[in-house]
Formats: sequence, structure tokens, C-alpha cells
Amino acid sequence: MEQVEGFREEPLKLDWMDRQGEWGMHATTSKQGLTLADIQIGSYGDAPDFSDNMTGRPRGAGVRNNSYRIGGYSVRSKSEIWLDNASFLYEEALQRQWSSATDVPWHTIEPLPDDIEEAECELATFLTEVEFVAGDVPARWISQTTPDYFEPRNVLLAQVMDESRHMDVFRKRALANGGGLMQATGGTAGVVGSIDLARDFTEMSSRLHISGEGAVLTIFRMGELMAYNEAEKAIYRLCAQDEARHVAFGVMHMRYMAETAPERREEIECYLDEAERQILAGSQNPAGAQTASSEALAILLGGGKDQYDEGFRKLMAIRKRQVQEYIKRVKSAGFGERFENGRSNLLGMIQASAA
Amino acid sequence: MARAKASQAAKESETGHPGAIEGIPQPKLDWRGRSNQWGTRVKPGKHGLRLGDINVGIYGEIPDQWQDQTRNPRGAIPKKGVPPLGYAIRDKSDLWAESAADLYEEAIQRRWAPATDIPWAAVTPLNEGLERAICQVCTELCQYANCDIETISSWQHQMAYGYHEVKQYLATASFDAARQFEAFRKRALVGGGGLGLEGPGEVNRMILESRGGWTEAVTYLFLLRGTFTTTMLRYLEKHAYNEAEARLYRYALQDKARHMTYGLEHLQYACAHQEDMSLIMQQLLFIGDRIFARELKDHVLREALAVVFAGGIEHAGTAGMAEYRRMMGDFMRAYVDTCEWLGVKRNPELMPREMTQYLVAEGS
Repeated sequence: MEQVEGFREEPLKLDWMDRQGEWGMHATTSKQGLTLADIQIGSYGDAPDFSDNMTGRPRGAGVRNNSYRIGGYSVRSKSEIWLDNASFLYEEALQRQWSSATDVPWHTIEPLPDDIEEAECELATFLTEVEFVAGDVPARWISQTTPDYFEPRNVLLAQVMDESRHMDVFRKRALANGGGLMQATGGTAGVVGSIDLARDFTEMSSRLHISGEGAVLTIFRMGELMAYNEAEKAIYRLCAQDEARHVAFGVMHMRYMAETAPERREEIECYLDEAERQILAGSQNPAGAQTASSEALAILLGGGKDQYDEGFRKLMAIRKRQVQEYIKRVKSAGFGERFENGRSNLLGMIQASAA
Repeated sequence: MARAKASQAAKESETGHPGAIEGIPQPKLDWRGRSNQWGTRVKPGKHGLRLGDINVGIYGEIPDQWQDQTRNPRGAIPKKGVPPLGYAIRDKSDLWAESAADLYEEAIQRRWAPATDIPWAAVTPLNEGLERAICQVCTELCQYANCDIETISSWQHQMAYGYHEVKQYLATASFDAARQFEAFRKRALVGGGGLGLEGPGEVNRMILESRGGWTEAVTYLFLLRGTFTTTMLRYLEKHAYNEAEARLYRYALQDKARHMTYGLEHLQYACAHQEDMSLIMQQLLFIGDRIFARELKDHVLREALAVVFAGGIEHAGTAGMAEYRRMMGDFMRAYVDTCEWLGVKRNPELMPREMTQYLVAEGS
């Protein structure tokens, strides 16, 4: 090694150069840039079925035998959290981030009749509460998941970000037009059977992504029916876009679980039983039976408190659609048999409501 | 006015809804007219409708303690009898920073995507020693980002909703860390290299094991590790070998600057509002410095940075190490100055020599 004038020389060991991960990787960009999918090359693309990585090292990095165990990871089996399209969902989340400050045309909001504004504010108060759940709960699971499964973990981090924005956009809506926040519903309390109390990731995901967020997604998709200005339309449209990713996460994860851990099928069926018991009556569904938010929705859908009945009929149509979309998701996740073998009575509920 | 409105709505509610068609249940409408402050109309400003803009009237009153254990949004009327969720952090002094709402909006405005905002094609083949060193540094940075993710997300859900601005800002901070985890991995896998050797992990463990509260975690994560990472990123940007690396380090620095603003402002708030916090921090850093110093003894990151700064192995032991010492000097001065600014007294004589040596030795 050459001695450079004016500097004292410090001898280098450079032994670490022989202890690095697999060498010679040339990830190449695709049409969408350099995506997570593009770097699944060589051994770096292999997420192990079971992770023994307790030191938080990036997947594929060279192992130090004397490194500290930092992670008390409880999610260490691939089947517990994996989904095949996590990379895609994460990249989409990054590309579709939006700002509630500047992407919602707030200036289009004009004063509304009191009954409508009150209903808007009650619904916004409720949705703020609901989005709190969807932000808190995934965060708790992220820190318990080994970085070997960083793709799904990154999707969950994007979800926490999305929910944070949803919280703030509904709070902003409540305070933007002569109204204010109203009475909280308390429907998101940590009572038994709630999303908060799930002890297993798939259990949590079935409640949060498939049932809970699925129901909210249907409402957001029907936003055109209850929006009174371009700002509200934009809010529902942008939130629906985010929510669709979260629901897709749940469906794809459940599908992966069904395919790779068939011994857990019966357990998953139980989570779905529970979700279905709550799907219409549950207080975390904005269109749930006889809740403050469903009454507010009926007023918004009808066009005022004097058209409550008309609004209620539309609300019934939304509930039916919530159930139909839920069934479609569960079928897509590989659990469609429950609607044919008598385990689920949701189809009967739809028929009854149609009659 | 709010009271008058409430009684009017209650009267309407008693008279029932007008249609009352068979099969459609009678609505209760008991929620109507129930608002702590009606008549709030916040207009968007030059920068849109920002989170801080809606802190008006009672909605902007942020109490020193938040007793509510439910998800009641601040300013809404709470529902009685709701089972508590058990939030551990309910004191403002345990998490607050005045700039949290602004940092949240800034994080959203300054979002970037490693897939498309970094010109990856600009990464051209480098000499093997240099490529290995860059990959090693990126691996360590990945691991730092992992530590950020795990630390922040393990505290987030324990914070009460009365302080939603902080929770929302931290959602952006953990998302930033996810993006950095991804971006540094991409750099390691794009230029003909791969990931390096994992880091020793002792400082990561210390940060993650901050059981004494969020303020303790902030002390280690932002004040100690954050100051070090920020300094390192600045030097890496200076020694970037192509536009892709320059942008990557610049974007990461931009994210990190927000993290540091929140972290230091929170520590300042905590010191100002908790009598012995500056003494607690002094103790924490007394311990933390020793752990940090032990990790500095590990030669891997030091050598990798020296190779990067020297453009290869040849001058790494001389010019590279001199630049490393300059970087460490900058880090130490920033670290000690910040402690002083926070009112946390540090006696260099009681700090580990592995750290204080850089306060005197610069350049050669």
C-alpha cells in the first residue's frame, strides 16, 4: 500500500470483504424503474420458509456469528405473513401517495344545510376513529416481523402511512365547512373479538383487511352517492385507492396461507365465522345496523333528514354490496367452499334482504 | 350557539323522521346536535389545508395529560363506558414536539420513490474494492433503517390519540425508514456487488431495548445514532460516484433531517417540562456512549468508509482514514454541541476515548 504524504497510515484488515453476501448482482431496471421485484435476484430473492434471523440483518447479508440478537420476532414463518404480490403493492403505494393538504380541492366545499353538514361531520368523526385502528394495529405487528420478510412488512408500513393520512383527511373535512367533530362512537374499543386483540397475524389480517377494511372500501367506492362537492368526491376516491391495496394484502395473504399451511384452514374458517357475525351488525362498519354512522349515511345518501327513508334504501343496497364484495374476496382467498357447504349463511342474508 | 343547536336537533330527533315507512327502522338520531364546538370553518391557505391549520378553537387545545384511553378524536365528544385500550404514553412531555404537524405535511410533500426517482442507470462499474465498500456501507445503512422501523413501530401504538400530530408524523418517519431500507438494498444489488457483512448490532440492541420510555428511545435513536448517520450521509454524498448515489444520499439526508428535527425538538420539550430529564439523559448517554464506542472499535464500517472516501483500497489507509477522522470529528462536535444546546452536560473526560479522540485529532 502506498504511503500518501501528509497522512499517517492506518493498516487495514479488509477481512470483511471475504465475508460478504452473494457477489456479482446486476439488478436491472424495468419499465417501472428499479422495483422491489427487480432486485429479487440470486439468493437475495429467496425468502426462507422459516427465518432464524434474530439479528435484524438484511436478507442475504453475510452472517456474523458474534452479532447481537436484537429481534424478539414472533412472526418468523413465511406462511404467517407472506403474499405473492407484496412487492407490487408496496411500489404502487409509493407511487400513489397523495397529500390531503394539496390534492383535495378544499375550495369546492360550500356551506351545506345543517342536517347534511351534521351527517358529514358525524361520519367523518367515525371514520377518524376507524382509521386510528387501522394505523395502530399493523404498526404493532411490523416490529414483531423478521426483516427476512421485509416485502410484506414494507406494505404494512405503507398502510400505517395511508391510514395516518385518512385520519387527517376526515378530521380536516369535519373542520372545514362550518361544522366540527361530533360524538365518538367508541366502536373501536379493544373488546374481545376486535382487531386489537388478535393474537396471530392472519387472525388480525382477516379482521382488519378482509372484513373491516373491506366494508369501509365499499363505502368509499360509493362515495359519489354521498359526496356534495368535488372535495368529498376526491377524498373518497383517493381513500378507496389506498384501501383497495390494504384489502388486496389481506386476500393475497390468506390465499398464500391456505396454499402453504393447509393445517390452519379450519382455524381461518373460525376467524371468518367471527368476521361474518359482525359484518353487518359490527360497530366498526360505518354502514352497520342502527349505528350513528349508518344514520348519518342514510341522511347523506337520501339528501337530507327529510329523505331519510330514501337514504336508508340506498344504505341497504350498500350493505348488500358489502356482503357481495366480502364473499368475492373470501372466494378469491380460497375459502369459497364455506358459502356452498352451509358453514356461512351470508348468501341467505342477501336473499332475505332482497325479499 | 352550540347549545342552542343541540336543543333544536334534539327536538327534531324527538319528533321522529317524517317518512316512517314500514320496514324502515325509526332512526334514533341521538347523535345530532352533539358537538363540543360547532361552527368551525377552516379555509385552505397558500399551502393547502395543513394539519396544523386545523388546530383551531378547542380542536387545537393540546392538554399536558391525556386521560382518555379510547380512540376518541381530540375535540370530539367521548362516549361513556368504552373499555380502555391501555395507552402507555399519555403525557405530552413524553412525546411532544411543536413541529410535528409541519413535519408530517413536509414528509408528504417531499415524498420520493427509489424505483423511479433515482437514476439507477447512472451506476457504472467501479473497481472491486470500492464496490465492496459501498455495498458494505449500504448494508449497514439498511440495518440502521431496520432499527428505525422496529423502534418507531413498537412505540407508535402505545401513544395516546390526544397527540395525533406526533403519531402521524411518526407514521411518515417509519415509512421513510422503509424506503431507505429498500433504497440501500437496491444500491447494493445494482452495481455488480451484493450485500455486505451484517453489522455488530450492539447499538441497535441498545436503541430497541429503550424500556424507559419513548424519550429514552429518542435519545439513542435520534440524538446519538441519528447524528452519526446524518454526518455519515453527508460525507457519502460528498463522495458519491455517480448521480444515482448522490441523489440517494441526498434524499436520505432530507428524510433524516426531519427525523432529527422531531427528535431534538422533543428532547428539548422533555427537558423543559420534566424536572430531571436532562440528568436522566446525561446518565443514558453515559451508558450509550460506551456501547457506541465499543461498536466503533469494530473495524468493518470504518474500513469500508475509508475505502469509499479514498475511491478504492489503495489510499484507504491514508487519505481514506484521514477523511474518516474528519467525519468523526464533525460527528463528535455536532453531538457534543447538541447535548449542550439541550442542557445535557457532558464532560469529555468521562466520555470514551474512542469518541473523544476525534474532538482533537483532525485531518491527519
